[in-house]
Amino acid sequence: MRKYWFIFKTTVMESIQYILNTIIGFFTYFIVTFVFFQLWVYIYSDGQNTIAGYGLKQMVWYVMLTELMWFVNSNHTLLSQMSNDIRSGGIAYGINKPYHYLLYCVAKHFGDIAVRFVIYLVLGVLLGILFVGPLDNFCLWQLPFVSITFILGMTLNALIRMLINILCFWMEDAKPIQWIYDKFIIVIGTTFPIEIFPRWAQGALRFSPIFVITYGPVKLIIDFSFPLLFQVLAAQLAYLVSVALIMYFLYQKGVKRLNVNGG
Amino acid sequence: MDYAIQVTNLKKTYKVKQKEKGLIGSMKSFIHPMYKEIDAVDNISFSVTPGEVIAFLGPNGAGKSTTIKMLTGILYPNQGYCKVWGLDPSKHRKKLAYHIGTVFGQKEQLWMHLTPYDNFQFFAAVYDMKKEEANQRIQELIEVFELEEFVNTPVRNLSLGQRIRCEIVTSLIHHPDILFLDEPTIGLDPVVKENIRSLIKKMNKEFHTTIFLTSHDIGDIEKLCKRIIIVNHGKIVLDDSMEEIKYHYLHKKILEVKLKEEMELSHIPGVTVIKSKGANLKLELDTNVTTVGEVMNQIDTNNLIDINISNIPLEQIITQIYKRGDES
Repeated sequence: MRKYWFIFKTTVMESIQYILNTIIGFFTYFIVTFVFFQLWVYIYSDGQNTIAGYGLKQMVWYVMLTELMWFVNSNHTLLSQMSNDIRSGGIAYGINKPYHYLLYCVAKHFGDIAVRFVIYLVLGVLLGILFVGPLDNFCLWQLPFVSITFILGMTLNALIRMLINILCFWMEDAKPIQWIYDKFIIVIGTTFPIEIFPRWAQGALRFSPIFVITYGPVKLIIDFSFPLLFQVLAAQLAYLVSVALIMYFLYQKGVKRLNVNGG
Repeated sequence: MDYAIQVTNLKKTYKVKQKEKGLIGSMKSFIHPMYKEIDAVDNISFSVTPGEVIAFLGPNGAGKSTTIKMLTGILYPNQGYCKVWGLDPSKHRKKLAYHIGTVFGQKEQLWMHLTPYDNFQFFAAVYDMKKEEANQRIQELIEVFELEEFVNTPVRNLSLGQRIRCEIVTSLIHHPDILFLDEPTIGLDPVVKENIRSLIKKMNKEFHTTIFLTSHDIGDIEKLCKRIIIVNHGKIVLDDSMEEIKYHYLHKKILEVKLKEEMELSHIPGVTVIKSKGANLKLELDTNVTTVGEVMNQIDTNNLIDINISNIPLEQIITQIYKRGDES
């Protein structure tokens, strides 16, 4: 595992070069969350104390944290580099080293987002406190449990994106699928909690990646309970094993089909 | 180890999508895609002994890079087999990676925002080298390749020549037994090219590394290689030692003559006028058909200012071999 730690560390070292870009990028996050903050303040101003079981403070924190996960977790390696490498054959130069290419991508992805995650988390929490104050029910002892679900959620998102990229071995371009996945999570998974949706849709959403990537981990911060923790962890592990197995299988098949442009 | 590389009847076929012209063609291609099979490498066999420096040449699209990619385990052959350092690359790619190093002149493997030193440390970790061993090796390579001056400068700030030197060092970190160099001097100026060549030579001498080189630069081949394999249309058209090639093709001479006054040269069998500008003549003569003396008899020595007889350039020899491959 030392080599994957080195890949992570080296990517972190490289991403530090872009620290100013990261800080500037935080303004986009600020604008998005500010708009939602104003929107929810307006909706709650008609005298409602809760909507679908969420008070104003919980709702604003929900949006802020899910958006934070989303902003932090999208990076060049998973959005375009991997699929471009497969289509152009550039992947050839990544697979002739003594590491597993998929683990290399995971390590590189986490190296890419590590610095951004710390910056966004610190500034995002400060922003949340500034908007609506600290969460009432959150206790520090919950943090290690919640952190595990956050890390698993981010890993899952990375693996699902990698799985879509791997389809480039068979497809001309996997961008449309990336786009659909992206919009599915951003529109349904970050803007509203699952409880807002009609009952029939809630059931489906609880089995979707939204539950394991955004809703589950964030719900635990807002309203922690051990049954929910076990439910989220079980779903995350089931997803993790399934996605990893499918991805590994497709990768092994796909790499044999590799065509390298220009030789 | 008898052979560093052993290739037997290796074949690689690509399926390339074909599309008819225009919009209708695009729609047809969407509904019923058509593919054409291209033999990038067509039944080639050769072997390389440990410590050998070999040039693998051919025009663009001849199958050189595809062969290298099969030898390094990146591409899977359709037919035949190869063994590199005793391992089958398609089955033992990861294991083989510890024995080989690769430099693709057109594709950098260095991390641009890091210094060469950090890059070397990274690759040492990738190859599971222990910290002390890595430090020692890095220091050794820094000295051999004279990198002291810029080893702590981010790669993005280095010149192309410095970067290529670092690329080569990167591929040598783990003491590879075989080094695949795919056009390592592409885009470099003559001075840097010369420098890179002497470093490659030094590396072969000091570390006894087997070198498998592809290049379009004849200088690289002349300076480094004792054996040449030429491929064209995926087939081997020549596999011979540099000495043999020169011996067989050196019956052709280039004669450059500078005269006081312009003169008309009568037709001599075996002599081709390459260039004639005023009183300057450039001739190619085939010594199997005629002799230098016969040509000289045609020229009035009182009219002669200067004469230069040289061998035909290797570049021209290789072009002829390519053409011969095309004709056959």
